[in-house]
Amino acid sequence: MKKVYAFEKNCLGCGLCEVYCRTAHSKSKDIIKTYKKENVDSAITIEEIEKNGVKTFFALQCRHCAEPKCVQACISGAMYKDENGIVRNIKEKCVGCQSCIMACPFGAIKMSVSGTVISKCDLCTENGNEPACVKNCPNGALKFMDLEEDKKIR
Amino acid sequence: MNYLIIGNSCAGTSCAAEIRNIDKKGNITILSEENFPAYGRPLISYFLQGKQTLETIKYKKEDFYTKNKITVKLNSKVQSVNTTKKEVVCENKETYKYDKLLIATGSIPFVPPVNGIEKHKNVYTFLNIESVRNIQKVVNKNSDVVIIGAGLIGLKAAEALAEQVKSVKVCDMADRVMASVLDKNTASVIQNHIEKHNVTFYLSNTAKEVKENSVILADGTELNCDVLIMAVGVRPNISIAKDINIKINRGIVVDKYMQTSIKDIYAAGDCVESFDVLSEQNKILALWPNAFVQGKLAGSNMAGVTKEFTGAFPLNAIGFFGLHLISAGIVDTKQDGYKVYIQKDDTKDLLKKLVIKDDKLEGFVLINTNERAGIYTSLINDKTPLSSLNYDITKQNIGLNVFSKDIRENKIFGGI
Repeated sequence: MKKVYAFEKNCLGCGLCEVYCRTAHSKSKDIIKTYKKENVDSAITIEEIEKNGVKTFFALQCRHCAEPKCVQACISGAMYKDENGIVRNIKEKCVGCQSCIMACPFGAIKMSVSGTVISKCDLCTENGNEPACVKNCPNGALKFMDLEEDKKIR
Repeated sequence: MNYLIIGNSCAGTSCAAEIRNIDKKGNITILSEENFPAYGRPLISYFLQGKQTLETIKYKKEDFYTKNKITVKLNSKVQSVNTTKKEVVCENKETYKYDKLLIATGSIPFVPPVNGIEKHKNVYTFLNIESVRNIQKVVNKNSDVVIIGAGLIGLKAAEALAEQVKSVKVCDMADRVMASVLDKNTASVIQNHIEKHNVTFYLSNTAKEVKENSVILADGTELNCDVLIMAVGVRPNISIAKDINIKINRGIVVDKYMQTSIKDIYAAGDCVESFDVLSEQNKILALWPNAFVQGKLAGSNMAGVTKEFTGAFPLNAIGFFGLHLISAGIVDTKQDGYKVYIQKDDTKDLLKKLVIKDDKLEGFVLINTNERAGIYTSLINDKTPLSSLNYDITKQNIGLNVFSKDIRENKIFGGI
């Protein structure tokens, strides 16, 4: 399946992926309104690596695993893998117990800013063909592709 | 091929789904003694609290059973199993043939004998929807509730009721809350937080006698009691296995293919003994993720695709009144050789405890500092040498950046 892959060497750590992730998941779909009036989670996070005083970055979001440990651990059935392979969370069913956070080996699931449910990447398929983070990455550090394609590029 | 599954919770449903993945034609039937479709059993406290409904606690989507062509028989408590005829008879006299049988009967509440308990008319356990409905019928804003047992179940019951009743009092023989999961230090953070919310604890103290409207504790304290909840603990539900002489220790004994001592009968979830990879002993690991994995493995083996169970270790994620706790592996270190690292901030109910032995992470407790906890879990699971990591995990918050670039990229690109 197609997933978002991060290329560390291209990542500037600019945070635009986070900005556009929030906007894509806002009600208004407008950057300014999203930031001023809406409290929206970003499902992608810029992670920092500091080595010998030099900082590098990479962006991390749900890997939509083939055997998702978050789905195994979910006590409510909120977390599931849909027919397209996307790992989703049904907010109405989520009780915020954090079993998925305990299980995810990537650390890719976060508590929502609301504090009552979790927040994760849904590949934002309803926003068009390419996820918002990929579409708006200015330096090609995020690519939306399947693994076969990835092997050729890497 | 007839697949029959006794138990419609986590292990049972994940077994059924995996069988259907492999065998598109076989008949799959699940027997449930309950009157409800599968539900997230740990969610009953949220249901009692009014935060979830009977609709939202359903564990599987509506079309799970139809899509996977799984027949579910509710109100079907098993009466007997005939292993020669390969047949299961329910109390409602329905009979089911099987070629492969899964026992996924879960846990049952353990209720210790207490003097006079029969005199109290509102005594309940807290393990299923029926128990919630019974409790809902009798509690109101004037009720004094006593809960015996300060483990996960007792504390979740306390949280659910604290704002609905006059008082909630929790007693336990142990000297701390969640004694089977936490050490004294970490337990005290949880206890202090819960005490701020209309819950009183009586620890190192237990119910000696129950009267019509009160409970008398070992030290003589008498607690008013309109509703008594028995939450001392759970035991594997092994009655069916016992009847047919399957090998049992504390739980049903299974091999690494989840098969019991009787051919073609498998077992998974809370009712079995599992191999704990940290203590290297067989234990009851009554944990939701373990039930899921074991059910799935059993399903695979039942459908003819051989897969092995490699073991598990304790894992708990639970919240009380906005506090979040995640614990894993070995937490209470009684033997030598463990290095324990603790970071604590009492003003924020914040705690991080890491337990390290021989360059490996063997356990952790996180309270209100749970970001990326699964990376710690994976370090335990993969037995990663801590000296191979990019930094000292006791000195810095965990992230994927703890791994070298090659390993990190392999993880991100490989997935699981």
